[in-house]
Amino acid sequence: MRCFWLILLTGVFVLATGATAWAHESQPGTLELRQVSNDRYEVTWRAPIYFGQPHPARIELPGHWNTVVEPTMRLLPDSQVFRRIVTVGGQGVEGSIIRFPGLEHTITDIFVRLNRLDGTTMTAVARPSKPYAQLRGERTWSTTAVEYIGLGFHHILQGVDHLLFVLGLLLIVRGRMLLLKTITAFTIAHSITLAIATLGYAHAPLPPLNAAIALSILFLGPEIVRSWRGETSWTIRAPWVVAFLFGLLHGFGFASGLSTTGMPKAELPLALLFFNVGVELGQLVFVFTALSLVRSFKVLGVRWPRLVEALPGYTVGGLGAYWTIQRTVMLLGYLK
Amino acid sequence: MREISIIRISSFLTVASLILPGPASAHLVTTGMGPVYDGIGHLLLTPEDLVPALALALFAGLRGAVAGRRAMFLLPLAWIMGGVVGSKLNVTSAFPIPALSFLLLGGLIAADLYMPAAAFTLLSILVGLVHGFLNGVALNEGAGLLGLIGITTMLFILVTLVSASVVSLKRPWTRVAVRVAGSWIVATGMLMIGWAMR
Repeated sequence: MRCFWLILLTGVFVLATGATAWAHESQPGTLELRQVSNDRYEVTWRAPIYFGQPHPARIELPGHWNTVVEPTMRLLPDSQVFRRIVTVGGQGVEGSIIRFPGLEHTITDIFVRLNRLDGTTMTAVARPSKPYAQLRGERTWSTTAVEYIGLGFHHILQGVDHLLFVLGLLLIVRGRMLLLKTITAFTIAHSITLAIATLGYAHAPLPPLNAAIALSILFLGPEIVRSWRGETSWTIRAPWVVAFLFGLLHGFGFASGLSTTGMPKAELPLALLFFNVGVELGQLVFVFTALSLVRSFKVLGVRWPRLVEALPGYTVGGLGAYWTIQRTVMLLGYLK
Repeated sequence: MREISIIRISSFLTVASLILPGPASAHLVTTGMGPVYDGIGHLLLTPEDLVPALALALFAGLRGAVAGRRAMFLLPLAWIMGGVVGSKLNVTSAFPIPALSFLLLGGLIAADLYMPAAAFTLLSILVGLVHGFLNGVALNEGAGLLGLIGITTMLFILVTLVSASVVSLKRPWTRVAVRVAGSWIVATGMLMIGWAMR
């Protein structure tokens, strides 16, 4: 028995220390180019703090752009904001390529927005696999759709805490119909709060939100154990209600991956819709893979030792507890 | 006995081709989602690694649930061990080693050959060690051990899903379809060797 707890604690510790980074919400960076006169632009580059350090990516403007007012830097709790004025000469900005050296070794996406004097706008996304953005004309809705679906998909797959909550639900739910209801409830709930947060009707500060999300995962741990023991509880009988209530919290978390600062209002509903589609796709891939694996283990007649069988449940509870403590400590620091 | 000889010959060829010096051309995919996902992306987007893994899973499925269980554990385990060794040694080969896996595994699937449990175990370990070794060399340039963990996690999932799917096939024509897929894998391997020797 002592050996069991030793293995369990070691496993949870290893997972937790490794998962600290994984659970971290990946904040996007933003680059805003605001035209102030014919050939003059204000460049605002917000580089998010990256795992407690200044972001490794830097900005490399096109060669024909000249900085006329030296950059200033402002340090915010979650980012560094660099601002400068540039002249772009006769060539203008159309077709210019802005590069972000160092971005390729990170997990950060950067939203690039150009606001012209005539009121027209242009947006692009630079990401680690394509660490540059080209400024050109208006984009088709399909280009925007593909970019935001990709962002949503990336965001859910990087958010181990969201996936762990879904795993916890899968471990509790018995029966296909109940599973369908539970996943649908979670989807509807997080879509509601994602929309509310993105459209600016409500805002949840990250430190308490992250602590609450961790608590939602911890909440599922004892429920999973109850389910194994054949006991029942309100959560086990109606998991879809729990999925809905906690889904509202997780939706605010998803919104942190969709930066809307300075985004053209006309683009906002489209961005929201396709970002959510990406999140749902990622969630479906995860649920489908988990269920298919369980079925495959049955077909292959795999008999897991009791310890291994219990591991997913203990991982949910253990990591939920670890994150709750860690994020509560961070929250207390934030409140001070 | 004949089956074990096939494995011995292919093992010899594989090890021999590993020793041949050549330029390293393998590289890892950058997903922008961290090294674990880079590893997952590498496996899914690299046919030279993906096809042999799927082929072993198909063959395991044809051989039954016991072989499926062996493949799902042994292949990822051998792959990660090969990867760790590969990341230390940095030996590369000009010969398209994966093509040998294509030929061997595709041939075994197409022939639906009976294979004793010990031989299948050896085959799984061999395929895992060789491809893991090649991945390990590539991982030196980027994702490191976390990338290797991503690859082996994806391998475990893929081999489990594919071998279980084949085991659950009931109609005779479905087994024939799997064998046809094996013949395509052989053909692809022959094309790869032909391309390398042109």
